[in-house]
Amino acid sequence: MAFLELENIAKYFGRNAAVEHIDLSVERSEFLTLLGPSGCGKTTILRMIAGFETPSEGNILLDDENITNRAASKRPMGMVFQSYALFPHMTAEQNIAFGISIQHKPKDFIKHRCAELLELVGLSDKGSSFPHQLSGGQQQRIALARALAVEPKVLLLDEPLSALDAKVRVSLRNEIRRVQQQLKMTAIYVTHDQEEALAISDRIAVMAKGHIEQLDQPEEIYSNPRTVFAASFVGSSNQFQGVLESAGEGLCQADDYLLHVSPQQELKDGEQVLVLTRPEEMSIGPTTEEEAYSGNSSGNHITGIIELRTFLGPFTRFHVRVNKNMILTADIPSQQARDYFVAQHVTLSFPPDACQVLPLDSNESNLVKQIESKTV
Amino acid sequence: MEVSSQGISKHSTANAAISPTHKNKPARRSFGLDKIVLILVMLYLLVPLGATLVFSLNNGKNFGLSSFQRIISDADFATTFPFSIELAVATTILMVILITPTAYWIQLRLPQARPIMDFLTLVPFGVPAIVMAFGLIEVYGSPNALVSVLSLGLVPLLSNQLNVVNTPPLMVCAYVIIALPFTYRPIDNNLRAINTSVLSEAAYSLGCGWWRTFLTVILPNIWPGIISAALLTFATVMGEFTVASLFSIYTFPIYLNVTGQNDAHKAAALTILSFTITLICVLGIILLIRFRPGGAGKDSQIEIGTAK
Repeated sequence: MAFLELENIAKYFGRNAAVEHIDLSVERSEFLTLLGPSGCGKTTILRMIAGFETPSEGNILLDDENITNRAASKRPMGMVFQSYALFPHMTAEQNIAFGISIQHKPKDFIKHRCAELLELVGLSDKGSSFPHQLSGGQQQRIALARALAVEPKVLLLDEPLSALDAKVRVSLRNEIRRVQQQLKMTAIYVTHDQEEALAISDRIAVMAKGHIEQLDQPEEIYSNPRTVFAASFVGSSNQFQGVLESAGEGLCQADDYLLHVSPQQELKDGEQVLVLTRPEEMSIGPTTEEEAYSGNSSGNHITGIIELRTFLGPFTRFHVRVNKNMILTADIPSQQARDYFVAQHVTLSFPPDACQVLPLDSNESNLVKQIESKTV
Repeated sequence: MEVSSQGISKHSTANAAISPTHKNKPARRSFGLDKIVLILVMLYLLVPLGATLVFSLNNGKNFGLSSFQRIISDADFATTFPFSIELAVATTILMVILITPTAYWIQLRLPQARPIMDFLTLVPFGVPAIVMAFGLIEVYGSPNALVSVLSLGLVPLLSNQLNVVNTPPLMVCAYVIIALPFTYRPIDNNLRAINTSVLSEAAYSLGCGWWRTFLTVILPNIWPGIISAALLTFATVMGEFTVASLFSIYTFPIYLNVTGQNDAHKAAALTILSFTITLICVLGIILLIRFRPGGAGKDSQIEIGTAK
């Protein structure tokens, strides 16, 4: 039995289902991230675990104990909020001491524990500062220390980095991970930022519309997405909708292109599929104007014109128009990208084993369109 | 008793900090309409006050403090003034105890009830005090069968057994209703400003129960709103005439009215006296909020004027 178990959890707000029949197990000392777009139910799940919402159906078990109907103040959880939620009238130290003082611990113990936690989050000199005297990043560190002070069994983090600027976000994210590993704390982290989720988690639950699409390790989620949604939401990808000509040979007719993919055992010939390739799997090469205009694209070599070139430091992102309706994205190491410019004719290539093939039903093709329109 | 109707905020200090940059602009153009308007407003506020002060010091023949001496030695002043203060304190305490947890609860658990509360708190503006006073006297003075049933027997109990008609306790209850708009709004605004639900959830997650959260986390952060509410309630009661007059209870405003009819100089001195007391109260409270630990008061606004 896992440390924290969600059994068949559902939550309805009126007639709307925020979360539908979710089963989720979190192991001791694990860092699990709930990742998904807004409205997918991830925060609702976290709030049900914290005790701020009561599930409409199902049970929550912590350490084999049913805590479904237990009040939030009686649950051994520590929570970190997006808006920090530090008590404005208390100093950083008083904020950290708040939870322990409720437990009627001796004063010396409280003082010692506060000092210990301030050191853990690297803010030993800020104990007497009030929240309004601290930066956003510092406030969130204090909030983390405050949540850890009560020695919770599970640490819950609700988009803790969303209100911070990019640089602080990365450093604090590493800090959270370091602290979690140091204390061997079980943590559940909610975010809509896939990069954050990939960087920080032991496992990620990708969520959409109140259910879990895929629950896996970050590497698996990225390189081997099981659903169209997971593939579209995590990382960016080039997508081809088409029909699988030959599952055994790995041939797929998508638009005007006959794509070579790896042989597909689980799919049948003639099935509607979505073929995905990550931008970093693309390679770029020169081509002549004639070749480009003839549409002479064979196999996984597709010709087109560079429409946009974005230098992103270690790599350069090219948006290449390959036909009227389609733009492919290629991330090329910046050293190789020097020779390519906007309006240049190029060939994009990708190996068959870089292609992910997913069966596509009609609902999902709509979903893909929705996600595409959002990301564009 | 009057209370300055201007909100006092940190903006005054912010303006002071910004003003040096204005010096770069041509000085003559900046000395224009804004300063004239400011001077006119100051005159509008201060001239009547100054005139009242002069009038209070003038006993018709020469200047002196005789009006003030007459007030201090007046037995009616010695009884009505403390009595009105007692009424005001009682009303303020009852009001804060009733409204603060209610506003917190609505904010936290019943946001859908807010429109109803907004409407209820506006009713005292729409219904004149004289209507309420007559209503109270009518309902509690001679309760009929329908009122008895509708109030679940409470009205007959209060009027017959406890004999509340025309008593200070009933008047305090009436004052609570009159001052409702001045109390609910500043407290509600303050609760909205501090992100009440997230702060409460943070406290719960640290093992703190509802009441303790309210007392140790929420209350210290809405002091400015409560102080505003208390101040407005206090001032309203200190100046309330209609209900007291119809209840035939001799309070400070009635004493002020009677005095005004007999001795105008003494009435002017009374006005100055009550104004000074209010001013000291307001300044004291502002200083208290500004310089308390945490300095959160510096960021909050005392909404004295907004409700009125």
